[in-house]
Amino acid sequence: MEIILQFLLILFLAKVFGEAIERVGLPDVLGEISAGMFLGALLLFDPNSETLSFFAELGAIFLLFTAGYKEVHLNELKSASRKALIPTISQILAAFFFGFLIGRMFDFGFLESLFMGVAFSPTGIGVTVKTLIDLDYLSTKTGSLILSSAILDDIIGIFMLSIVTTIATFNQLPSGVQFLSIAGKMVLFVIIMGLLGRYVFPFIFKYIQMMRAKESIFAFVVMTALFSAYLSEVFGMHAVIGAFIGGALLSDIPFAKIEDVQSKVSGMTYGILVPFFFAFIGLSIDIGALKIAGLFTLLVIMMAFAGKLIGGFVGSRIIGMDFHDSLIFGIGMIPRAGVELVVISVGKSAGVLSDEAFSAIVVMVVASIIVSPLLLKSAIGLREKSKATDA
Amino acid sequence: MGKNSLDIKVGEVMEKNVVVVKEDDSVRDVLDLFKKHHFHTYPVITGDRQLAGVIDQDIILEILLFHRIPRVKHTHLAAVRSLGVNAKSIMIPHPVIISPDAGLNDAADIMLKHHVNRICVVEHGKLVGIISKLDIINGVIKRKGLE
Repeated sequence: MEIILQFLLILFLAKVFGEAIERVGLPDVLGEISAGMFLGALLLFDPNSETLSFFAELGAIFLLFTAGYKEVHLNELKSASRKALIPTISQILAAFFFGFLIGRMFDFGFLESLFMGVAFSPTGIGVTVKTLIDLDYLSTKTGSLILSSAILDDIIGIFMLSIVTTIATFNQLPSGVQFLSIAGKMVLFVIIMGLLGRYVFPFIFKYIQMMRAKESIFAFVVMTALFSAYLSEVFGMHAVIGAFIGGALLSDIPFAKIEDVQSKVSGMTYGILVPFFFAFIGLSIDIGALKIAGLFTLLVIMMAFAGKLIGGFVGSRIIGMDFHDSLIFGIGMIPRAGVELVVISVGKSAGVLSDEAFSAIVVMVVASIIVSPLLLKSAIGLREKSKATDA
Repeated sequence: MGKNSLDIKVGEVMEKNVVVVKEDDSVRDVLDLFKKHHFHTYPVITGDRQLAGVIDQDIILEILLFHRIPRVKHTHLAAVRSLGVNAKSIMIPHPVIISPDAGLNDAADIMLKHHVNRICVVEHGKLVGIISKLDIINGVIKRKGLE
């Protein structure tokens, strides 16, 4: 099928399915993944197509770039670190450990198990926020802690991804010297990006806003994403890592953050590239592999839920929260959405993550989006009941 | 814009008596300000009048109707902002600024090219005024002697 028609069909169905799912009260990412699965079942598309893969990679790059560009705020990060460091580290460690463990249980290689661990680690806060608002729980201490933890969680998740993707380029566990070289390259990359962000980007944007060529600022924001993505590849890291850092560096530059430019970047990212990326994830699911690996998939779901729940519960108990609030916090950390899908798509395209593991984790993401709001509602209901009984 | 307007400086036509918000003002105070005045944007300043950010009607709407806005806008930052207690925690930091010595054409260029309706005027980091499209229009009309 012609590539333009393929692109059109994927985008059209992603939007239609996404809207339908939003209308029933669930996040549109589910609809977009389902659209890809539906098209995959029709066998009209080849998920190994280079052109489709390229657009999907652009989607992943701009998903993380926009997260850095629009959402990173240094003051917020500092405040989140103060509030939520212990429970966040606890839930990430537990989730990582459970992911790694399941890989080892099923005789996966070390690298694939590492990817499983990293894919288990991030949290998709968008799913939880809606439920917390509906139950008027966002403004409580626990609601605020869930929010702070999710902010830190994404940053730590991306840091873990940067390590694991760099290790993956060696296709084996790196030696001591190789490990030092990886660490050196990462530090050098961060220093270069830091210098660009502090001295070069603000200077460039001061002059770009005076350019007469059409949409210059928007074009340079997009170019910053592509340049940062490319530079991180030069330094042996995956493009998405550089894109995220590039976005974060633009977040304090007034002309790069003009509402009009933000709206154009958002339109391109969330209107086109990200729905395409999520649909491509659905398209890449191997239904056959899922049927064979039924038990594995079930265990992936259970372990991914348990890691966040137990880690979150223990971490919040350590900082003195009561049983019910700790339970709510743990459940609030269960949903996954954006970063984890980027992690597994990177793992799959690097040839580290098998079709079974990839497909099982997508099913886990879908299950977490559907189940966690229900669990959260029950836990908050329990908390209110216990409060009423105490009173 | 006519040649006459080229030499007008932003400082000559800007609004100098700006209603401002202090960064420690409560969200309640900010809401009262929106009730009392009809401006779209308020600059947020620090204790020594340094410009810290701006708060506009869009932010207030987003906070007031956070539970009703589409899920796609339920991002970290929007959620944190909805829980904000003071002006500092809800403002947009790093707004576009201009110097009072800049020409009116520079201000008009920024507004027309980037769909910005008003710009904070800052000298040595301190807020000295605000300039809107209407201020520019009035400035040019005055200079052309059309009044």
